[in-house]
Amino acid sequence: MTDRIDAFARRLRRDPYFLASALEDYAGSEGLDGSGLAVELGCGVDELGQLGLCRRPRSDPESFADDVRRIAGRFAVSEDRLAEAVRRSDALTALREAESQDVIAAARDRITLDGPPDGDELP
Amino acid sequence: MTQEVFAFPSQDEALALHGGLLEGDPVAPSDVAIAYLDPLARWLARLNPRVDPSECYTAAEDAILSLLTHPESYNSAGMPLEAYLRMAAKRDLQNARRSQGRHAGRRADWGAVELSASMGKHLMDVDSDPARILELQEMIEEIVRKRPRIPAAALAGLAPGEVQVLSLVECGERRTEMYAVALGITHLPLEQQRVEVKRVKDRMKVRLKRAGVSHD
Repeated sequence: MTDRIDAFARRLRRDPYFLASALEDYAGSEGLDGSGLAVELGCGVDELGQLGLCRRPRSDPESFADDVRRIAGRFAVSEDRLAEAVRRSDALTALREAESQDVIAAARDRITLDGPPDGDELP
Repeated sequence: MTQEVFAFPSQDEALALHGGLLEGDPVAPSDVAIAYLDPLARWLARLNPRVDPSECYTAAEDAILSLLTHPESYNSAGMPLEAYLRMAAKRDLQNARRSQGRHAGRRADWGAVELSASMGKHLMDVDSDPARILELQEMIEEIVRKRPRIPAAALAGLAPGEVQVLSLVECGERRTEMYAVALGITHLPLEQQRVEVKRVKDRMKVRLKRAGVSHD
């Protein structure tokens, strides 16, 4: 059963609705594998799947604190570390979005400077 | 022969789990997944013994995922959560198999082709499950009983199945399966079911409008 839950959580690690996405970001940024992440959070590695299937804490400060407290209390993980993991993931997401916007802007600038690519000329 | 028991939560437990989702409890999605994934996938695997169990798990995940992200899509007055998830998982598996069949094309083995064709024909495969039809029919009758405000003029000349469709439309029911059962057309191919359901629903909407009844 744990394997199936783990597999389900792994499937959702890119879905920002789920905590799995935040844990994935955090583990990636810290260079942690599953065991390392479990140690950081203070839980068993077999609990990571269940933890990942929780809804990601809402971003407004009051709800964030409530949600983190609720999840941490339920899984007996470090509240501070869990909050840090989610905040880190939020920051990484913002960074990725900014980079993505930069890439789009750069591409737009290039099209403006160079004209449309061959075969795409406007009538 | 031993009957395999699928340890689904009771409906009371289900309502508590669903309530957690609706209230935004961040732990509720995990609780729901833990409670339903295994029994749902096992039930699906038993229903489809020729399908790879991992596909059954994926379909069960799909059904659960849909509930987790859209908990309002389940109306507890309509049917037990277990039945709702079974229906959704069954449909997700069938759709996945059909999609696979399309992609695999001529490479598909004969067994898979046979299975896919059979599933495609009966996407709403309730007609292979008389208990399920009965269950849905009971739910429909309950809805009809609870909706006494339809004027007699709107009901005049309708067949019993159409009366049920009228009530379902009036209460905002969206599940095609319910309409298919009400009309007794679950044996038809999916597309035909959809077309027929839409045709009758549209007709019933006009009737309701003429009778001055607003529907959800």
